Amino acid sequence: MGYIRIERAVCKGCGRCIIACPKDLIEFSEEINERGYQVVTYKGSPEECGGCTLCAVACPDLGIETWNNRGKQTFTVTTGLTEKMTHYCPGCTHGVVHRIVAEVLNELGLIGRAIGVAPVGCSVLAYEYFNFDMFEAAHGRAPAVATGAKRARPDTIVFTYQGDGDLASIGGNEILHTANRGEKITVIFLNNAIYGMTGGQMAPTTMPGQRTTTSPFGRDVEDTGMPIKVAELLSSLTTPAYIARGSAHDSKHSVRLKKMIKTAFQHQADGRCFSFVEVLSTCPTNWGLSPNEASAWVADAMMDYYPLGVIKEPAKEPATAPAKA
Amino acid sequence: MTKVLMKGNEALGEAAIRAGCVHFFGYPITPQTEVPEYLVKRLPEVGGTFVQAESEIASINMIYGAAGTGVKCLTSSSSPGISLMAEGLSYIAACELPCVLINIMRAGPGLGGILPAQSDYHQATRGHGHGDYQLIVLAPASVQEAVDLMTLAFELSETYRNPVMVCADGMIGQMMEPVEFPTEGRGEPMADNDWALTGSEGRERRIVNSLYLSPEDLDAHNRKLKAKYDLIAEKEVRHELYGETESPDLLLVAFGTMARICKSAIDDLQAGGAKVALFRPITLKPWPYAACREAMDLLPADAPVLNVEMSMGQLIDDVRLAGEGSRRVEFLGAAGGVVPTPEQVAAKIRELLP
Amino acid sequence: MESTNVLMAGFGGQGMLLAGKVLAHAAMAEGKEVSWLPSYGPEMRGGTANVTVCVAARPIASPLITTPQALMVMNLPSLEKFAPKVMEGGLIVVNTSLVHRDPKREDCTVVKVDARHVAGLAGTERAANFVMLGAYVAASGVVAPESVEREIENEFTGRKAKHVPANIAAFRAGVDAGRDVQETAAQEQDA
Ligand SMILES: Cc1ncc(C[n+]2csc(CCOP(=O)(O)OP(=O)(O)O)c2C)c(N)n1
Ligand code: SF4
Ligand code: SF4
Ligand SMILES: [Mg+2]
Repeated sequence: MGYIRIERAVCKGCGRCIIACPKDLIEFSEEINERGYQVVTYKGSPEECGGCTLCAVACPDLGIETWNNRGKQTFTVTTGLTEKMTHYCPGCTHGVVHRIVAEVLNELGLIGRAIGVAPVGCSVLAYEYFNFDMFEAAHGRAPAVATGAKRARPDTIVFTYQGDGDLASIGGNEILHTANRGEKITVIFLNNAIYGMTGGQMAPTTMPGQRTTTSPFGRDVEDTGMPIKVAELLSSLTTPAYIARGSAHDSKHSVRLKKMIKTAFQHQADGRCFSFVEVLSTCPTNWGLSPNEASAWVADAMMDYYPLGVIKEPAKEPATAPAKA
Repeated sequence: MTKVLMKGNEALGEAAIRAGCVHFFGYPITPQTEVPEYLVKRLPEVGGTFVQAESEIASINMIYGAAGTGVKCLTSSSSPGISLMAEGLSYIAACELPCVLINIMRAGPGLGGILPAQSDYHQATRGHGHGDYQLIVLAPASVQEAVDLMTLAFELSETYRNPVMVCADGMIGQMMEPVEFPTEGRGEPMADNDWALTGSEGRERRIVNSLYLSPEDLDAHNRKLKAKYDLIAEKEVRHELYGETESPDLLLVAFGTMARICKSAIDDLQAGGAKVALFRPITLKPWPYAACREAMDLLPADAPVLNVEMSMGQLIDDVRLAGEGSRRVEFLGAAGGVVPTPEQVAAKIRELLP
Repeated sequence: MESTNVLMAGFGGQGMLLAGKVLAHAAMAEGKEVSWLPSYGPEMRGGTANVTVCVAARPIASPLITTPQALMVMNLPSLEKFAPKVMEGGLIVVNTSLVHRDPKREDCTVVKVDARHVAGLAGTERAANFVMLGAYVAASGVVAPESVEREIENEFTGRKAKHVPANIAAFRAGVDAGRDVQETAAQEQDA
């Protein structure tokens, strides 16, 4: 029989794991932890859990570890992250994406060469959580900082982690030119359709009609244009190697997202130029939704407009070199 | 007129409308974001324009464009955002375009923190963009004064065709206090003039420009600007003297929120008979040097001046300039969002009193 | 009353900022000078939020208070952080629904209210902030309870107007809790 361990001090009571469990084995307990959150508990009988990891993959706060029927640990908290509890709101998928990036770098054996660049946005404190060398850049300028670092130290693995305000608004110039120069860096772009950190203003990626504090009557596309599809926009450039869009809103998509992020870093490790992964993400707090409602909103309101998948990749190199004509 | 309880940031936004400004361009940043959040709702009600720019670089250049067509316009930001406006401000000042910008200061340098600070003092009074230009800088110490100075800011900017900065700290932006607005409704638009780009039909064409290829012409332009700044310095300095204004034993100098805290310290010490005055510059540019020197001259011969600021020694430069070496100037300051308390100020005063 | 001030602290979302605003409005309506100064930071739930309200007969010099005359705490982190800072002989109102520890301030008047429970009885647990405000208003006499009630009405308008009765009921229950404590304290002093 498999089992899960819930770290109650870490749990923020977001409830994402409850929805993630395919066998409905997790529920809220009566317990309120030190930080004021109502924590979850395992409610099933011991035989029922198979240790499938879906709850752990859904948890933004590394609150769950899992074991399978043979007693083998199926989900272990990555050492690519520090032990510090994040400042993110309950159910915010920034935590999920942090985990994936750290796991990927770990699995590719790149942690020791990694240099991350944190943005200005809710993930400004990413340097507290990623367990390797980190910069903190000015708002929007991370790709330029990354360029400087990578050009100066070509052997390092350099990436930026940026929000939609940071990357698509104030940093529009930097990302465009960094991509076009084909800098050998990786960009993880978190699209949550809002400015999280400053309390919910409109972003360039905000959906038509979406209410934010600077579009209080709903985003008026007559006045502010349509949301920018950054992945597609950058794909119109010839230089970049790899451009994809995934989503972190639920476990299933997070698993696919991890593959994309892994491919992106692999391209960098192989010396190929600019790789970019856009991630649809949630901001329950500023969307005014519960964490699970927020996940549903990504699927219902964002995914049609921001289609998922690999948008650009290097042409497959032929298995054998073509004979010279 | 009735008083309403309002957040500083919102009151600043409303004051702009009352002063006749209905064009706002800005970008979110804590602790000033309530200015755009207020105006995005309020401006449509008065037929105004609100644009959330993609950056502060864009905001200030939108201001350049709007101001160049002769409308009253406003942008608002906080420290890191103001840094990005440096280039635009230089162009706007060079072209002598009227506009108002708000800086709700937070702690620097770099990303720093979001808590209140006065560490953009040098930036406001000396720094920002390149070249020989000056802003007019007004520093309120309460929500009411923020409203009053906004009104003044639009007047001065139009009179002198110069950018005016209203420079407060995060505490004034975030605090709610009762305020009274001087006028009702949307104020008057900018008067007709002979420089704004409005379409040249029926008149000579006009150019808004700061490029001068001839050094003599650029020299003349700079001299003209200098004459304007001198006139502003002569006519527009403002200050307040508080506490023991007849024969103080000690003079404090502080502005904005810090000045309020100094007032608390003075009030607390007055009960014990301490004779302390506060000199508060309201215009940080032009600085009230002469008035400050007069206040210093009220002191006994060897009495010191105590400079108090929420930064690490910026205001003190102007206090020293005012004293022209005649006074010892002591320093009390804090940074990073740490605000010296009335008790700390009082303790320092006690230490310095005879 | 020359001047007084109160620091209200809790988790973000527990309504301390709103309670402070209502108090400031009530004092203003009584012709007093007021200031309302919030702690501010990145908008993140679960963080702590606090607000300082000053009420005075004369214009308020510094709105920044380091040793408040009164403290209202909704949660444990706030109690631990701020209880030691309260002025000697001050007033501390504690929400015992979440705070089970003693403020350890023998010199202060301590009012303990099971705010969530009391609010629940009054109609909605969400009005715990107004229970706390009621206890503070009764124990301090900073404004008349009626002034606060009027401002609760002014605060919840339009679609939110339906919340007025429960919030006022919660506030009144808080006033009763605060008054009891004040009377006992007075009796103890007489004895
Ligand atoms: C020059 C400058 N302007 C504005 C800000 C304020 N600011 C901080 S974060 C942010 C937006 C963050 O939104 P996003 O990049 O979407 O990140 P999220 O918080 O949503 O993850 C803004 C405008 C700043 N720090 N610096
Ligand atoms: S997903 Fe994690 S943080 Fe959320 S309720 Fe489950 S264990 Fe707690
Ligand atoms: S504000 Fe939004 S993006 Fe920021 S931590 Fe909270 S949920 Fe996440
Ligand atoms: Mg965002």
